[in-house]
Amino acid sequence: MVAYIVRRLMLAVLTVWAISVLSFIIIHLPPGDYVTSYIASMSASGSAVSEGEAQALREQLGLDKPITVQYAKWMELVLQGNFGMAMEWGRPVTDVIGDRLTLTIVISVAAIIFTWVVALPIGIYSAVYRYSFLDYLFTFVGFIGLAVPGFLLALIVMYLGFAYFGANVGGLFSPDYAEAPWSLGKTWDLVKHLPVPAIVLGVAGTAQLIRIMRSNLLDELRKPYVMTARARGLTEYRVITRYPVRVALNPFISTIGYLLPYVVSGSIIVSLVLSLPTVGPLLLKALIAQDMFLAGTIVLLLGVLTVIGTFISDLLLMWVDPRIRLGQR
Amino acid sequence: MEMKRAVSVLSSFGLAAALALCPAVVAAQAAASPPLGASLIGKLEGPTIITDVKDYPKTFKEAPTLDAQVKAGKLPPVEKRLPDESQLLVIKPLREIGKYGGNWRRAFTGPADHENANRINSADKILTFDYTGTKIVPSLARDWKVSDDGKTTTIYLRKGAKWSDGKPLTADDFMFWYEDIYLNKNIVPTPFFEFQINGKDGKMRKVDDFTVAFEFPEPYSFFVYQLAGSTGIGAGFATRGAFQNFGGAYAPAHYLKQFLPKYSSEDAVNKKAKDLGFDNWVSLLKNRYSWALNNEVPVMTPWKTVSPINTPTWSMERNPYFWAVDTAGNQLPYIDRITLTLAENTEVANLRAIAGEFDIQERHMGLNKLPVFLENAKKGNYTVRLDPGLNGADVALHMGNSYEGDAEIAKLLRNKDFRHALSLGIDRDQLNEAFWLGVGASGSVAPAPDTIYSPGPEWNKKWAVYDPKQANELLDKLGLSKKDSDGYRLRADGKGRLRLEMITVGGSFVPFTAVGEMIKQQWKKIGVDVDIKEMERNLAFTRDNNNENQIITWANDGSEVLFLFPRHALPVDAAESHMGMAFARWYASGGTSGKKPDDPEMIKAFDLFRASYGMKDEERTKAAKEIWKIIVEQEWSIGTVGQSPAFMGVRIVKNNMGNIPDRQINAQHVRTPHSSWPETFYFK
Repeated sequence: MVAYIVRRLMLAVLTVWAISVLSFIIIHLPPGDYVTSYIASMSASGSAVSEGEAQALREQLGLDKPITVQYAKWMELVLQGNFGMAMEWGRPVTDVIGDRLTLTIVISVAAIIFTWVVALPIGIYSAVYRYSFLDYLFTFVGFIGLAVPGFLLALIVMYLGFAYFGANVGGLFSPDYAEAPWSLGKTWDLVKHLPVPAIVLGVAGTAQLIRIMRSNLLDELRKPYVMTARARGLTEYRVITRYPVRVALNPFISTIGYLLPYVVSGSIIVSLVLSLPTVGPLLLKALIAQDMFLAGTIVLLLGVLTVIGTFISDLLLMWVDPRIRLGQR
Repeated sequence: MEMKRAVSVLSSFGLAAALALCPAVVAAQAAASPPLGASLIGKLEGPTIITDVKDYPKTFKEAPTLDAQVKAGKLPPVEKRLPDESQLLVIKPLREIGKYGGNWRRAFTGPADHENANRINSADKILTFDYTGTKIVPSLARDWKVSDDGKTTTIYLRKGAKWSDGKPLTADDFMFWYEDIYLNKNIVPTPFFEFQINGKDGKMRKVDDFTVAFEFPEPYSFFVYQLAGSTGIGAGFATRGAFQNFGGAYAPAHYLKQFLPKYSSEDAVNKKAKDLGFDNWVSLLKNRYSWALNNEVPVMTPWKTVSPINTPTWSMERNPYFWAVDTAGNQLPYIDRITLTLAENTEVANLRAIAGEFDIQERHMGLNKLPVFLENAKKGNYTVRLDPGLNGADVALHMGNSYEGDAEIAKLLRNKDFRHALSLGIDRDQLNEAFWLGVGASGSVAPAPDTIYSPGPEWNKKWAVYDPKQANELLDKLGLSKKDSDGYRLRADGKGRLRLEMITVGGSFVPFTAVGEMIKQQWKKIGVDVDIKEMERNLAFTRDNNNENQIITWANDGSEVLFLFPRHALPVDAAESHMGMAFARWYASGGTSGKKPDDPEMIKAFDLFRASYGMKDEERTKAAKEIWKIIVEQEWSIGTVGQSPAFMGVRIVKNNMGNIPDRQINAQHVRTPHSSWPETFYFK
């Protein structure tokens, strides 16, 4: 058991290193560098960067050095717990990400809670009352939820909110609270703004989970042990929640590995459309600006979280499912 | 690449998707015709600077918020904060004396959007332009003098003017910038182009505590325009600080010394940087130098940052030491605060403006949304005003004059007749109707006829009319008369159909790709095939740098002030050149790198251009007109539609705002909206 965990940990470190190399290479793949991107973005907004300034910028940022030297410099910083400067932001990368991390986690967790609270009961209901009217209705709505891309839903919700309810367009705070320090009022303001992004982000996942839950549970319900349990006089509620639901939960747990990075990144496109101050748009902007320290750190962070998440879900599976636990011995 | 696709999906779905849901809007769009646009363009007007000391006010008032602080003993009285009476900047507001107070709400798109508020906060420029954009007027400096030989430009500072922390601004702040910042190679490795004449460095000299001279080894009469324009040396400490490139020609010595090794030691400043999470002292200095990032740095601007630009809200409050008053002696600005809310994309900014959430917003507002803006104007309680630009082309087809790739196509692109034929094959009026709602002006790349360097209105139409017959004749004469079964011309070297490639950049103020597609249809009539390729702008610019683009669409904004911002008119700037990077490198390096153009007309334009910086005003204006005639005649760039409000010229203003010009000049060198002196805007 301990040997297993140690082996997994060592593999994880290796994977993370590979991710750091890959992310650095990928960020360098597009032509040009941060400075060309900066000149282009300034020109697009009617301003100018002179050739001398561009040269100076390249030297200061070390962009005139070969990619291997740049990588070594970055790794040296990373090992010291310093992830470099976010070029566009003029601040340490950790500060830039840190600012947005809390809100990102709040939104993502809200979306996950929404997904689970809605998907689990509906999935169970649909399986138990298969081919009932409500099952058909949920299936129908679920497929629509799966088919509509999140960003389109976001646009529609935003337009309806603006046109019919006079709601603030996008964002997480009303203008009155945007700048205010944290208070009860501000928290309440956030809670009021939360449902829209949480639902938009959660809808696709909800539809998916309903389907998974339904089909898994259906498989289990057909099995002889369920019939045995019923024959022995257990109440219907106990029969279903005690055994088949527990088994059907396995796929939920194995997705926890992907949940962790998702919690941190949010959804890039939906966040962009709804103008949410999360890590997603930050990553997109960093990639467009070719800010390799910022983009590299976010990608690295997501990689590390995927690795940790997978590790945790393995452990959880062992804990939840005795078959895996016993098979391990 | 997934990201890029996502972005283009976004921009094409964006508001268009929302609009499709609303039939009334579609109807309004169909009704949009030239009279609609024209009725939104008002009279050019703006506040004026009073220069006669006799007319200066004698008693002074201040904002109630400051008054309270004075009473509490936290601030000196207003008379003590303002410069000496004769040294004030006195602004006559456009319509009336305003009222104090209010919070000006706007949108910004992130830390790269510092120009958003830089352009509002540009009073700290050394000199500036009046609201017409033609005459130099005082700003930070109260007066200036150019010596007869053009070698020395002297500026006179305002005695008693103070930084936002109350410390006086003197010539020492200029000398500090020059000696400790500009001449320090660790901070500024390469000298500023505009602080040199013909590659020779200028010098700064302190004459007395309030007089500074800029001296050059050769005549440089144009330097005073560099001080007034949006340049590295003249754009002001705040703006250049936000650009993080140490321009400005002055800096708060008393504050910045603590970050320089000269005043302690390299180790000490590096340690300070490391403690704050920065690599080294230069990156810390860069951060501390920026008014947008650092709310502690003293500034000379009307507003100073409270919550910095790298947070979801970039906000600023009035500078209690601002050194300008209105004609009644009220210390400016009128407006207490400015709050810019982050919009992660411009579609959200537009939608919020439609909802009436912004008080004044001209940046990021799309011309293609004009019908929706008008539709919702009453509900949002705002008025839409259009400010046309002065440049000839919002979409210029910049030719790859130094393109190195397909030799046959390179040869054609360098042929004047071929360029003329392409130009005559464009139906500009159709483009104008389709993409500019008819509010633009069809024509060449030449600037608006009423700008000082315009060679005359006939040059706006030269080679820029729709004449497919003449175009076909020109192409036939070039030996391109053979066509394939689809009616497209064949290459002269027998390698099949002549296929050009046009690069369009996605996500811009103007829908370049859609314009390109329409030109593709129009060129069918002259038998020229062109592939339209949309690219992300960084990729397009990198290809420019490698001379890989045959044709690229980009605006020629700023070209109306030829000498301040030549890069969109002539290939002379190696930082950005769409019409021949190899030539730009050759020009900028004085012939040591790049490639010499083989076109004698281009050499002629270069020579004239170079000589102009030393010429006196009158002579220089004449030279500019000559240069423009060459540019239009040669068509190194083909103009389509311009002089339109597409570029930051759609202004959404709440109806309760006062002193708002009906039309303001929309140009880079005046730093719109700075030329309208936002200090005098107020809430009614």
